[in-house]
Amino acid sequence: MYSRLHARFCLGKMLVILRDGRKLHGVLRSYDQFANLVLEDTVERIYHGNAFAENWRGLYLIRGENVVLLGEIDLDQEDDIPLRQVDWNVLEPYHKSDIEAKKQREESKAQILYEKKGFCKEGGEGDGY
Amino acid sequence: MDPSSGIQEPFDLIRLSLSERVFVKLRGDRELTGILHAYDGHMNLILSDVEETIMIVDVEGAPDGRGTVNVAKRKMEMLFVRGDGVILVSPPSRT
Amino acid sequence: MLIFSVFKTLTDQQVTVELKNDLSITGILKSVDQFLNIRLDNIKVSDEARHPHMMAVKNCFIRGSVVRYVQISAENVDTQLLEDATRREALNQNVYLDAEYKLESREWRLPSGIG
Repeated sequence: MYSRLHARFCLGKMLVILRDGRKLHGVLRSYDQFANLVLEDTVERIYHGNAFAENWRGLYLIRGENVVLLGEIDLDQEDDIPLRQVDWNVLEPYHKSDIEAKKQREESKAQILYEKKGFCKEGGEGDGY
Repeated sequence: MDPSSGIQEPFDLIRLSLSERVFVKLRGDRELTGILHAYDGHMNLILSDVEETIMIVDVEGAPDGRGTVNVAKRKMEMLFVRGDGVILVSPPSRT
Repeated sequence: MLIFSVFKTLTDQQVTVELKNDLSITGILKSVDQFLNIRLDNIKVSDEARHPHMMAVKNCFIRGSVVRYVQISAENVDTQLLEDATRREALNQNVYLDAEYKLESREWRLPSGIG
């Protein structure tokens, strides 16, 4: 059942989104029934505003439970994307502060809702993607 | 337990709510009401005529965790809800 | 299994899958498996500006465990059929539980009979 699902996914460049929010680009080489993936020539991408940056990661085996989404990248469309690539070291501080700000926002939101509305606090279960 | 009540296990309460409007509280600061049409042992649900209520907290300009809670609502005609997000299901009050 | 069957009847229909990270993807449901993993074709992400990494993605596989909702168009679902099927499945579950219960109570009687 799973192999049928993935059958058309074996060639070309793929985007993998992980549960911690990381975005990886690479060539999918192998997969199994748990959505464990082998990704070759992997780069990690970060985004901020209309800029993105890449950092080389190499060969990855990703455990399936960490996978959110696996997307086929349309190479023609990728050239038309209105984003400019910048140096990783330039963009990384912005990306980190984006993540930190989001984390802060979510923590105080969870705290307020926990106190006022009885909603359970999330996080700690790896749902932060 | 009294078998005539028709409720012997928790899921019986959901079964008896089929085709009725139920209230569902979810993880991630959301609540739903909708007409229940299907469920399974994971508490996956299929609801129609759904109204979702999302809690929106205004954190900005409110230090010390004193933000105000607003709600946003939206309607969806037919919705599958994944069971792992369900905190509780409450049947309609029969008054 | 019931929900899996429902999704199978929805293949080639347009659905909107909302993930737990608030990413909302509309596309044609191409396939689904027993874990409710979903394959969507021709996808469109709502609020694309907030998700620039999705701009070049046309088809995707979504792991079932990260799904919050799937929005379905009501005309594609026979609610009466769904409720009947749900009651049937619940009944089968109970028959199974009942058998288990009887098995347990027999084992419980056995030692006291010996004593």
